[in-house]
Amino acid sequence: MVLDIIVMIKQVPDAEEIFIDPVKFTLNRSQARGVINPADENALEAALMIKDKTPAKITVITMGPPAAESALLECMGRGADRGILITDRAFAAADTYATSLTLAAAVKKIGRFDLILAGESTTDSGTGHVGPGVAEFMQADQVTYSTSVKIEGDTIIAERELEHGIEVVQTPMPALVTMLINANIPRRSSLRRRIDAMRKGIETMDHESLGLPPEWVGIKGSPTIVGSLKIPEEKKRLNKTITLEEIPEMVKELIENKAIVLGDDEDA
Amino acid sequence: MMKMRELINCVVPENLDEYRDVFVYIEHSDGHIKKSTLEMLGEGKKLAKKTDEKLVGVAVGEELTPIAKEAEEYGCDIFLGTESPDLKDFASVPYTNYLAEMIEDYKPNIFLMSGTREGRDLVSRIAIRVMTGVAADCIELDIVENTKILSAWRPSFGDKTIDQILCRKHRPQTITSRPGSYKVAEKQPGNKCDIKIKKVTVPEAMKKRKILSFRPKDRLDLTSAKKIVSGGLGLGKPEGFELIRNLADELNAEVGASRPVVDLGWIPYEHQVGQTGQTVRAKLYIAAGISGKIQHTVGMINSENIVSINNDPEAEIAKVSDYFIKADLYDAIPKIIEEVQKYKNGKAVVGESPEKAA
Ligand SMILES: Cc1cc2nc3c(=O)[nH]c(=O)nc-3n(C[C@H](O)[C@H](O)[C@H](O)COP(=O)(O)OP(=O)(O)OC[C@H]3O[C@@H](n4cnc5c(N)ncnc54)[C@H](O)[C@@H]3O)c2cc1C
Ligand SMILES: Nc1ncnc2c1ncn2[C@@H]1O[C@H](COP(=O)(O)O)[C@@H](O)[C@H]1O
Repeated sequence: MVLDIIVMIKQVPDAEEIFIDPVKFTLNRSQARGVINPADENALEAALMIKDKTPAKITVITMGPPAAESALLECMGRGADRGILITDRAFAAADTYATSLTLAAAVKKIGRFDLILAGESTTDSGTGHVGPGVAEFMQADQVTYSTSVKIEGDTIIAERELEHGIEVVQTPMPALVTMLINANIPRRSSLRRRIDAMRKGIETMDHESLGLPPEWVGIKGSPTIVGSLKIPEEKKRLNKTITLEEIPEMVKELIENKAIVLGDDEDA
Repeated sequence: MMKMRELINCVVPENLDEYRDVFVYIEHSDGHIKKSTLEMLGEGKKLAKKTDEKLVGVAVGEELTPIAKEAEEYGCDIFLGTESPDLKDFASVPYTNYLAEMIEDYKPNIFLMSGTREGRDLVSRIAIRVMTGVAADCIELDIVENTKILSAWRPSFGDKTIDQILCRKHRPQTITSRPGSYKVAEKQPGNKCDIKIKKVTVPEAMKKRKILSFRPKDRLDLTSAKKIVSGGLGLGKPEGFELIRNLADELNAEVGASRPVVDLGWIPYEHQVGQTGQTVRAKLYIAAGISGKIQHTVGMINSENIVSINNDPEAEIAKVSDYFIKADLYDAIPKIIEEVQKYKNGKAVVGESPEKAA
């Protein structure tokens, strides 16, 4: 039996290159370099670790602009078998409902899966909703905040990190697992595999091939909208540059400001 | 073998006015409501007053009567529960099922959940089941004047902007909140709550997930730490964290770190501050040997007092610092420790000049 694994990845802007457009007052992400969302790299690595032990076919999917192709090629370079780019102008500005719906439609079109792996959350919107959203559409169980996952018969066993401890759960496949950032160490891609991937190419899907009406996707299919936006007031900093000799003065000021509390009145 | 829900667009309900009252999902453990939920009960009460609606606590679990009593003390007008021995432990599928049932029966206008691991696991499944939108990780909630529309504010991209999320046509208007962002509800002595607990039998199909083991372990929670001393690559060697730890102990602070030192294995990931680590709001944040790249500063910029130590006068961290100590951290940290100790053993007193005391 060959396991069918789907990995959901998203290309996110590199935080360093994001800035706020001072005229239009919007976040300008378009010029930022794209990187694979860090937790999604851990999801892919979890899939590859399963494939190291068990015969498996890994399909990586992403919904995003055409430029996200490079992220898929990178994943194939690391060992994924197939890359699918779900791209369409109509998908723009989707919220988590519309994103989950679109990705679920892609999974349906792929036809079968035993396991879906996703990142726990993304660094750009960071809701952590898309994994569970897809699981709900697929009527599959979900195991969130995982640090490791292994296959046992027709079930998976995963470790989850919760606020107060580590839970080990077992649930039947098909299932969806979301991986925590830093859960494992992602391997590097090999040049040979990357070249193979470029030769093989990336498949694409749009709203028509997914059978989704345009008003179900993107901004039109999104129940939530962004009303307005405010830029948090940046706290005024003292901006004092000091030398070693001035440390006593600083400590004194911090004590006076109650930033350093002496004695027991800690949480006062 | 693949069964799936009908893929369906988020349908707009026919009569929005039928939806009323404020639901709060009650998370509980050991027979008590969790603190993060108490924050939502306080916030829920405030919103319910504005829309002249009721505050309704909803919970799923094994034994809910004590929870209902506590919900009454904290101001709930109504408590709805679904109870079964099979619902003792949290599991996404049955919990989604019973919460969605309560939502579909009651038709609430607003649904608040705390953004804990449990809340975040549940919320989007429920939202898709009942066909509504979610605003995640909100830090501020209000009602748009003269309407029953929830105005939910959430930080986006590392807190660089705060977006207002509106869910104008779908109900319930659902959010998760960032734990620690709101005041805990006040007790309301004499409050009367209408308690309705339903007992159910969980179908076999929903009981296939098993918890094999649980190892208690507290995650280091830097998000609620009052003081943090962080070290970066400028430490030069893993042993540098001993010095960081000494200062942290002296100040009764937690230890933080930048990403490269975590990647190098000098300190575990749970100490990482920044975009891919924890976002902190300390009263005092000390950054030693950290250059101040944006991926680090987004995680600590909301701290009240920022002190940095760096031997490069051009280091970016200076821009976000109240005190930028231009020095080698191996000279500066012992000096800070020494100074603080002077105050602790009474050799220096606040109000006197430290030079005189020294
Ligand atoms: C997608 C992504 C996510 C990221 N997420 C994070 C994150 O969550 N957190 C994070 O921290 N980074 C993150 N980074 C990395 C980030 O971009 C920086 O590389 C990192 O913060 C730099 O760490 P540093 O300041 O410790 O090291 P450096 O940038 O190397 O700075 C070391 C500093 O120490 C100073 N120094 C050297 N010796 C001494 C001495 N003896 N005394 C005093 N000062 C000294 C130097 O002048 C220098 O300023 C992320 C990057 C990416 C691409
Ligand atoms: N556009 C997308 N394409 C593919 N996968 C996605 C997309 N958006 C989110 N995901 C997956 O869902 C996870 C959670 O995303 P989010 O809900 O945005 O925090 C990510 O880590 C990805 O695995």
